[in-house]
Amino acid sequence: MNPGYARVLFVLGLIVVAGIIAVTRKAWAPGAFHALPSIWRIAKITVAEARRRRVLHAVVVLVVLILFSMTFFSYLSPQEQARMLISGGLAAITVFGILLAIFVGAFLIPQDVENRTVYAILAKPVRRFEYVLGKYVGALIILGAVVAVMTAVLVGVLAIQDHLVADLPESPFNPNLGGVIFAAVMSYCSLAVLTALIMLISTVASTTMTVVSAFIIWAVGSLQSQIYELAESATGATKLVLFVIYHVMPKLENFDFRHQVSNFISYSVYSGWTAVLHGMGYTLVVLILASIFFNDRQV
Amino acid sequence: MQTRRSRKWLSVGLMVGVLMLIVPLQEAIHRTRPSLFDPDRRDRRVSAISVGPTPAVIAALGGFRTVAADLLWLKAENVWNGGSWWAMLPLLDAVTQLDPHFLLAWKVYGWHAAYNLNAESETLVDKRFWLRRGIENLERAVEANPDTWEMYFELGWTLYDRAHENQRAAHYFKQAAELPDAPHYVTRMYYRSYEHVMDFEDLFPALEWALSRHKDVAMHQKLVSRDLEWWTNHWDDPQEHRRQIVLENTARKQRSVPYYMYPDDPYWDVCPACGLPSPKGSEVCENPLCGHRLKGGPEAGAESLQPSAK
Repeated sequence: MNPGYARVLFVLGLIVVAGIIAVTRKAWAPGAFHALPSIWRIAKITVAEARRRRVLHAVVVLVVLILFSMTFFSYLSPQEQARMLISGGLAAITVFGILLAIFVGAFLIPQDVENRTVYAILAKPVRRFEYVLGKYVGALIILGAVVAVMTAVLVGVLAIQDHLVADLPESPFNPNLGGVIFAAVMSYCSLAVLTALIMLISTVASTTMTVVSAFIIWAVGSLQSQIYELAESATGATKLVLFVIYHVMPKLENFDFRHQVSNFISYSVYSGWTAVLHGMGYTLVVLILASIFFNDRQV
Repeated sequence: MQTRRSRKWLSVGLMVGVLMLIVPLQEAIHRTRPSLFDPDRRDRRVSAISVGPTPAVIAALGGFRTVAADLLWLKAENVWNGGSWWAMLPLLDAVTQLDPHFLLAWKVYGWHAAYNLNAESETLVDKRFWLRRGIENLERAVEANPDTWEMYFELGWTLYDRAHENQRAAHYFKQAAELPDAPHYVTRMYYRSYEHVMDFEDLFPALEWALSRHKDVAMHQKLVSRDLEWWTNHWDDPQEHRRQIVLENTARKQRSVPYYMYPDDPYWDVCPACGLPSPKGSEVCENPLCGHRLKGGPEAGAESLQPSAK
């Protein structure tokens, strides 16, 4: 797209959003003050439920073990060790984060419906969008805690390894801690987008269907540059379909800085921020849709 | 009912607004992540991937290419330690295709082909094949990593030290020296490439250029000044010319690459059989072990015109 058109579109979008917020302030302002405590309460309940699940603890312990076991590559040169630890550690965080996001996101609402907990909640003065948002915020807190623990362990392992090889002559061990934390934060942002989409699907589909779709969405979202490349080279209806897929699917690859960090290549923090802004917009749309679908659902 | 319908329209309006906001953001991401979306950079990345089915594998691996490359690298390490040098090639090929930014893998790939496999080969044809393969790999590495001085330096070094293609080596050393974070020795390698072939037309500008760089590094300034002074005083010294010819062609003989004939040297003729200098106009090579006839007539005592493979 022409950068000039893009700027016009961005400004128009800002005007539309600001206009809607301003015009409807009387409608949403009292509701928002009522909604925030409800959302927070539901989020707290979601976190408390998750803490009782042993699978979460097991995943964290497994990742910690994997990260510590990676220090066994001490026969490699310090330069190789740094690369292996960073790329392997970030991959472990991403893989387990995605698995958690899929299983947490896919089960949150259906499980409440199945256990009939949702009736007790909705019988209280809680609106359905507050319930959906509360569940989403709860999922974000759970994922945030797990990613934070895994990142802290990875940073610890890198710092220990850095200390161990520091005395070796000519050891270019670069723990790249800033880059690792940045990549982990970006990974968390991609999980936030993925979780929102999973929750949207879970409001209309069965749990099995949600889990399967989540894996497909993750795969397609991680290959967006390839889809973009295919769309650019295609013609006719194929081009249109590919462009629709490209724009509808979440842009998970935007958040992927693991490759740059592992190879010690410079990365653009601005690009990270733009990805976060884009992800926030996408998540907002997805959550509005999830609320609409959940509102129409017979529970 | 009215409120519910208006809320729905409100939601739809908000969604449209947000979607309009995020499309230009994605455009900005396209611009700031050239390695993913810029056609020029993407082409470079793709051209670094030469084997047919591999792009599909890369696409399938998505964000986990780096980890897959790491696992294959570990395998390559084991193969190396086990002494199966030839078995390393497909592994290194896969590693560099999966992760074209893995600089160490490119360095090892180029070095392994141009040095180890070249030295292991028994025939001259095989030696040249592996040397060419090593250089081609490093050229692909430069193509895939155009912003990193290390790959230009690695290619320049292999051309200089192994292939003795000094003019090409100088070109890459200069490109490496101009990139950020390049150490000062890279700048000096630029003029060193011209020294051994005594290309004075390029050597003096290269020395001046080197002197203008790294002004704050005393050691660099001292070394370049010393070399500049040396060549200013000795560029027309016949004994210095002889020394350079002997050094260069002895190294070329060890590397099994053709001798450099120094066609413009005013003092010495280079023997095509042994690569050593004889005074200009000599009829027979001055080397008593060679005795090759330099001007006209049948060859006398020469075993071959090129260095042997062994």
